[in-house]
Amino acid sequence: MNCEKCHKNHATIHLTAIEGGMKKEAHLCDECARQTGVHLKFNFSISDLLGGLMEPTTKTPKVNQVRCPECGITYSEFKTKARLGCANDYEVFRSELLRLLEKIHGSTQHAGKTPHTVDAQVRKENELIRLKKDLESVVKSEDFEKAAEIRDRIKTIELELNR
Amino acid sequence: MKVEELLSQSGEWLKGTGPESDVVISSRVRLARNLHRFPFLTVATPQVRAEVEKFVRPRLEEGKLPRKLVYWSLSELSAVERALLVERHLISKEHEKADGDRGVAVGADEAISIMVNEEDHLRLQVIRSGLQLDEAYEEIDRMDTALEGSLNFAFSPQFGYLTACPTNVGTGLRISVMMHLPAAALSKQMEKVLQSLQRLNYTVRGFYGEGTQPLGDFYQVSNQITMGKSERDIISELKKVIPEILKFERSWRHKLIDDEPRKLEDRVWRAYGILKHARRITSEEATDLLSALRLGLTMNVITGIPHKVLNELFIFTQPAHLQKIERKILDPEERDSVRAEFIRRRLEGL
Repeated sequence: MNCEKCHKNHATIHLTAIEGGMKKEAHLCDECARQTGVHLKFNFSISDLLGGLMEPTTKTPKVNQVRCPECGITYSEFKTKARLGCANDYEVFRSELLRLLEKIHGSTQHAGKTPHTVDAQVRKENELIRLKKDLESVVKSEDFEKAAEIRDRIKTIELELNR
Repeated sequence: MKVEELLSQSGEWLKGTGPESDVVISSRVRLARNLHRFPFLTVATPQVRAEVEKFVRPRLEEGKLPRKLVYWSLSELSAVERALLVERHLISKEHEKADGDRGVAVGADEAISIMVNEEDHLRLQVIRSGLQLDEAYEEIDRMDTALEGSLNFAFSPQFGYLTACPTNVGTGLRISVMMHLPAAALSKQMEKVLQSLQRLNYTVRGFYGEGTQPLGDFYQVSNQITMGKSERDIISELKKVIPEILKFERSWRHKLIDDEPRKLEDRVWRAYGILKHARRITSEEATDLLSALRLGLTMNVITGIPHKVLNELFIFTQPAHLQKIERKILDPEERDSVRAEFIRRRLEGL
């Protein structure tokens, strides 16, 4: 992202200001920030940093109410704490996090180490998602024998995943 | 091993023998990992915290790992012992102050430590003396791979290792190089260094990590970006930046000795005089003077004090260390006397 003032340098300073009850964002390069009288703080906490990078609260009110079914936190709670509640949040808040990760890391795709267990695991995870959907449909069609079978399979996989 | 046994040794990284040790104190690498299917600590109930510790602890203590680790449950330690672990850089301040079930597994030479239930379920760290980024990463990578054998880490093919804070996600890798930059600081050049590092997406912090002020001209430079790059790339980029800072600091050191040799000598010898004779000294003053002494040693303004002794003085004169050595709780004034005496004794006869 380029500096909003000079449109030349890369913006390294991201500010959130409240003026007249409205949140405003500014993205500046070091030099323009200094000229505007914004000094670099030597120490800043991760939440300060995140605070500066978050989207304004008023813009997307619905997103803030989305709640993760596994850990129970909402996106707005994440914004306050700057910490996620569980691994599933990365899927639940996916589109917002993609924007945030782009700003923090300049990337949204992992390019490092992969645990050697991951392939088998990813396959199992996918099977789990599919089985849960199957279960819903067989319960609807009242095929309880089949449902019991699927439930057993889900339990087995969940146990394997919890190894 | 008990926590107080740490007093009879000092960490491998304090030896002061590593490459570039005139400027670089230590290289530290850290990996953030969470367990699959356990909620992150942000929302974890006391029961979940206990479950995580119960699940992880035996796996850290088992003999199959590349390093033998000793586990300390922090709730079983005294406040002074917890503070001592912070002063040794084995746990973070946040981990010290937190509540609930949590712990740390430490290797005998203190080069490796694994915090359990800090911000993430596991925080692995390896510290090496001087500039040894590859060596430090290789060691932590071996430990991480070994742990994968018995623990299932939260991972997504797109997001990588999943962490409580999105600033760590991906590799979960934070590399910090602790440097002593007294000449750059004395010549008021630090602002320049900080700004150029910030432009390159590196953060600079004080001696004890996030939120701490630079003490005694020690600065920790760390990568900010953890995603979209491989571990190797993150390391090789930092390996290009650090030599620039070394060159910068060394050039200002030479300028000091060329332009104002008397001023530098006076500063170093005054520091030595006070350290050798003071009867009361605060932690801040001691750190400041030890920093000047360290500068003098690397510039040969003063000789005969081993780096190891000096490095140890920085750590052993911290409040928790002094209280553990004296085996009692001391108020700040008492600590100042004990600290002055400790330094005097260590410098005697050198």
